[in-house]
Amino acid sequence: MGDVLFLVLRRLRAPLIALLVVYAVSIAGLVSIPGLDADGRPWRMSFFHAFYVMSYTATTIGFGEIPYPFTDAQRLWVTATIYLSVIGWAYALGSVFALSRDPTFRAATARSLFERRVAGLREPYVVVCGYGRSGAAIAAALDAQGVRVVVVDPDAEKVAAIAVQAFAVAPLALAADARRPEVLRAAGIAKPECRAVLALTADDEANQTIAIGTHVLDPTTLVIARVADPVVHANLAEFGGVQVINPYQTFAANVGLAFAAPAVLQLEEWLTGTPGGARPEPLALPRGHWVLAGYGRFGRPLAAALTAAGLPWRAFDPRFEPPDEAEDRVHACGGTEEGLREAGIERAVGVIAGTDSDTVNLAVVKMARRVRPDLAVIVRQNRAYNRAVIDAADPTVTFVQAELMVHEVLQSLTTPLLERFLELARRDGARIAQEACLRLEGALGTGVPWMWAFDCDPSQPGIRQAFEDPARPLRIGELRRDPRDPSVALSAVPLLLARGAGRTAGPAPPPALGRLLGSGALRGRERPGNVLDRSGVGTSRFGRHDDVALPDDSIALAPGDRLLFAGARGVEAVQRRFLLDPTPIGFVRTGVEPARSWVFRRIAARARTR
Amino acid sequence: MNLEKVVFGFFTILACTLNFGFFIGEIGTVEFHHPGELFAAIVVNLVALVLKFGDRTHIGATHLATSLVSCLQLIAGALVWTWSAHVAKVDMTPATMATIVSLSGGALLANLVSIVLLVGETLRSSR
Repeated sequence: MGDVLFLVLRRLRAPLIALLVVYAVSIAGLVSIPGLDADGRPWRMSFFHAFYVMSYTATTIGFGEIPYPFTDAQRLWVTATIYLSVIGWAYALGSVFALSRDPTFRAATARSLFERRVAGLREPYVVVCGYGRSGAAIAAALDAQGVRVVVVDPDAEKVAAIAVQAFAVAPLALAADARRPEVLRAAGIAKPECRAVLALTADDEANQTIAIGTHVLDPTTLVIARVADPVVHANLAEFGGVQVINPYQTFAANVGLAFAAPAVLQLEEWLTGTPGGARPEPLALPRGHWVLAGYGRFGRPLAAALTAAGLPWRAFDPRFEPPDEAEDRVHACGGTEEGLREAGIERAVGVIAGTDSDTVNLAVVKMARRVRPDLAVIVRQNRAYNRAVIDAADPTVTFVQAELMVHEVLQSLTTPLLERFLELARRDGARIAQEACLRLEGALGTGVPWMWAFDCDPSQPGIRQAFEDPARPLRIGELRRDPRDPSVALSAVPLLLARGAGRTAGPAPPPALGRLLGSGALRGRERPGNVLDRSGVGTSRFGRHDDVALPDDSIALAPGDRLLFAGARGVEAVQRRFLLDPTPIGFVRTGVEPARSWVFRRIAARARTR
Repeated sequence: MNLEKVVFGFFTILACTLNFGFFIGEIGTVEFHHPGELFAAIVVNLVALVLKFGDRTHIGATHLATSLVSCLQLIAGALVWTWSAHVAKVDMTPATMATIVSLSGGALLANLVSIVLLVGETLRSSR
């Protein structure tokens, strides 16, 4: 605000002074020129009347000659003042309009408006830096969940386009370079309402700068950066405190999982699907010789995943340059048909069309199918508008970066504990996945369950009392009873117990915030324990946690523990009563509704001692 | 020599001197206080106010504040005068004149502060 006001005042100094001088000279003239009153006696206009006459004359309203008809001398002077004042006003208004069209001024106004609106946000929001395909898709997904979004993108056209896009609540947007710390600050990354900062620009270096800048400015803010370059990825992993999502490596890890442990992949797809949806079919990728079209940042991690799964593969890429560790398996030829033949399409079971051109990818699929119609096909879709043609080719799996990013980001924003559980399941092989599938099917059926975290936060009124008696610890099974009727079991399955490591009661956030964004780590503003790092570039962070997958009902809870539940719709709200209301836990344990008021508690205590 | 400094100093001092010229004289005596001088004081004070726009330093902000005070006080005096002459339609009484002049006295004080700031700034820069 200050900026804009000062800019206006500074730029309008000259026109304002011109107006002042015109008025002063005109009024002085009117006052000093003698006139005649109604009776023909000499009369001089007072300053008040002169100012009045000038005010309506200068603004071309023209009420006439008051209080008495003017003499010719006065008329002569008024004629001069009319021209003077019209020029003065034209100059002043022209300056105002010129200023309002001035790019500097408009940028300053937009910036100041944006800063004021961000400062006024009193609800949780997520800052999205980079409004490309992924950024736009994530902004729309967050908006659908009722989370406010703040967008920063250097491209003014993209920012302007936000105003005409369909949002429930339009994001606050600023056209600026988020690499600059003052822009990050203006976007409100250091405000307590800021839930996360997403660095999703097309440039890895920019994402790195944004992530590090945010982390330095406010280490408590959750930062998620999209990075494709392994070097930058390693830098950020080294730096710590930043979640890195590498879409290519994430996808390759999933493909690797489809070969190594299809049950784990199915569990993952099942639990991360849209709640209420159907359980996805297990992805069956055939084991055998694979052909890769394109050996770049998309193809390399996939080739590594194939190698790790023990499968033979050959690739071709016209841009491949020989000094490379995989040079005996990659052909640097340009023609698609020739490349497919060189890579051994005749003996292949699957083909991966992973170039950065959708047209080439479609051609690869077409030609490969001509040779082997029963091939498994993985296609990379590069442009959003090519979706229809890619889908028409009927691939087994399609890689769409924006969709994968939305999926990964939402997952780590809403249920970070789920990622920890899935990581455990991935490392364990098939045992946890099979056991989880059994338990989920038994309790909830095959639909996609609703996921939530139950936080044993000792500052909550319901939980505090439950931890008071060390001889009678709170057990997981007690949280699975209906707080309204303990004989009824809640349809909720605990998937993960994250030990709190003696976490002391921090400032308890209002529960409404947690409900907006799932709940869990995001709510407490502590640094999340998980990093979406499946590539092995960073060190595994999961060794530190004493996470228990699929905990039994008999396990005793400690303050600060967090539980990941999968359950039916609405069960989360029922279970939340254990936190918000002091009586349900006692009721579930004893079957007797504990006395709430002081008098009745005293009476009950006396009855017990007798 | 800086022309901007000349213009700025000129208007700041002229605002103060005109204000003083109107203020000086027996407070309740109507003949000692000319409306034209009040008009001139108001105009010059407004010009000084606009000249002080846009300076973002601390001393600039104080300058702007003194000008705002003096303009408000002088315009208040002019409004009192206009009210008594054109709305109440009574002849100027010593009491009304004293009100107007004391208002301009307040403005004079603000203008003096402005001049102190101007002189202080000049001495500090020592160029």
